[in-house]
Amino acid sequence: MVRFIILRLLQSVIALVGIAILIFVVVRVSGDPALMLATATSTEEDIQQIRVNLGLDKSLPEQFWIFATDVVKGDLGESLFKKKPVTELIGAALPNSIRLVIPSWVVAMLGALLLGVLGATRRDGFLDNGVKFIAILGQALPGFWVAIVAVYFFSVRWQLLPAFGTGGPDHYVLPVLTLAFFLLPGMMRLVRSSMMDVLDSEYVKLARIKGLPEKTIIFKHALRNALIAPLTVAGMLFAGLITGAVIIETVFSWPGIGWVLMEGVLARDFPLVQAIVILVAVFVLGINLLVDITYAYIDPRIRYQKS
Amino acid sequence: MQKKGSDSEITAKPIISGLSRSTRIIRNLTLIIPVTILLVIIIVAIFADLVAPCDPVRMSLPDRLSPPFWAEGGSTEHLLGTDKMGRDILSRLIFGARISLSISLLVILITSFVGTVLGIIGGYLGGRTEAFLMRITDISMAFPPILVAMLLCVSMGPSFATVVVSISLLGWAPYARLIRGETLRLREEDFVSQARTIGSSPIRIMIRHIFPNIINPLIIVMTLQIGLLIITEASLSFLGVGIPPPAPSWGNMINDGRNLVDTAWWISTFPGIAIGLVVLSGNFLGDWLRDKLDPRLRQL
Repeated sequence: MVRFIILRLLQSVIALVGIAILIFVVVRVSGDPALMLATATSTEEDIQQIRVNLGLDKSLPEQFWIFATDVVKGDLGESLFKKKPVTELIGAALPNSIRLVIPSWVVAMLGALLLGVLGATRRDGFLDNGVKFIAILGQALPGFWVAIVAVYFFSVRWQLLPAFGTGGPDHYVLPVLTLAFFLLPGMMRLVRSSMMDVLDSEYVKLARIKGLPEKTIIFKHALRNALIAPLTVAGMLFAGLITGAVIIETVFSWPGIGWVLMEGVLARDFPLVQAIVILVAVFVLGINLLVDITYAYIDPRIRYQKS
Repeated sequence: MQKKGSDSEITAKPIISGLSRSTRIIRNLTLIIPVTILLVIIIVAIFADLVAPCDPVRMSLPDRLSPPFWAEGGSTEHLLGTDKMGRDILSRLIFGARISLSISLLVILITSFVGTVLGIIGGYLGGRTEAFLMRITDISMAFPPILVAMLLCVSMGPSFATVVVSISLLGWAPYARLIRGETLRLREEDFVSQARTIGSSPIRIMIRHIFPNIINPLIIVMTLQIGLLIITEASLSFLGVGIPPPAPSWGNMINDGRNLVDTAWWISTFPGIAIGLVVLSGNFLGDWLRDKLDPRLRQL
């Protein structure tokens, strides 16, 4: 197990270096950062000066070395427009994002579990069809559109909830629920199909033959095994959560990371956007690592196969 | 409840051909309706210049914020109303379809090609190559494409090409994962080992023997991807990192109407419905194809 974790950790570090190289190359290939900073009145010397300031006059390997050591030291550069270290800007926005993302995640997971299990145990019944309908609709309608429609009804028309900003608990309702809507349908579908497979398995039939109560069969025997499949998509779920957070924070003017990112993009504040992308990459790798370790812990076959 | 469900499941299996008339009609409708919707939208998108009543980017301030024809104050001149710059919503929807669909098509072609090549190579060769490719695939699937798009948008500026490149950069991963799984299965089949015995080169086996056998799952995933890509493109344009205005895209049209939902609901509503229709149709068609061609892939 220890061997497996060390190997896996090493792979993650290599992957991180790979991503760093990729970001570095993509940015240099797709545009000249100095030209982005130049204004209409900049002369050729000004642009050259910007290049020297940014270290763009050095050779590519040299530039990459500087970039990489800075990242390792935790120095992700300074925002071009706010003139502050990007880590400071990100640090200030992060708690707001967490306050939004965690409740949404909990709501989505509980909802997906509840509806998925209900759907699977009442196959083709009224409830199951309802669950399928939500899943189909949820995957067809863009989340930002749903958020706008929700704002229209709950804030503009019925004036029940605030349309944007942070504040009291009522400010959380719309953003949290609409963000949960990004994750719920896919997860629900997965829980439902995985639960249906498990309910068809031999050991559940045996449990039925033994005469166990239906509740024990569903929650104690079936659900535990049914939850392994949804675990595989934990990584993809994270991608959905980030995407959702960026969109929902923009729609509701929620001052989190997504909002900062959007501001950075609109102002073409390159170091800021790059820093957030790197940060998310680190998170993605970390989550992949955790999922794999959990897997290896649950299923010994994986441990031996990979090492 | 549970008992009843499993009983009907058991009895239903042997007599699939004897499905009741109404079930068969519903099953056919779930194919006919989505295909018709997709065909109509594709034809309209191709012939946008002939079909659209107005120029999608021509502004006309006197006509601004005119509602759809059936609402009070609406006129048949602008069937679905106009936006805050007096541009015709219907025409923008039609030209937006052209942009959204061509982005999706391009991305599907690029990503399915790259994903298939990597998937077959990884699955057939195995070992280090496979481990390496699968690691990249996992990371690509967990990375939000929106962030790549934002990064590229900052360095390249928003454009049609930026959108295609940034979605494609990660979009090959689902294909690679699926195709690799299929290849692993096929690699052990008799016809492949026989081909190996008579001395076929690995490249020949991959192209002549493995590829023809993965076309079905490939088509299924390509179809199921339509919806996802339409939504991704719309999200990017909505956030302002996709198709730059004034060119119409369903995503940036929704953004145009975002702050006007209380006075001019039609600006955001119609593109939202258009997206929903295409995505639903694509998903239904994909589900139907999957049930028809390869029911093993139910998890997709």
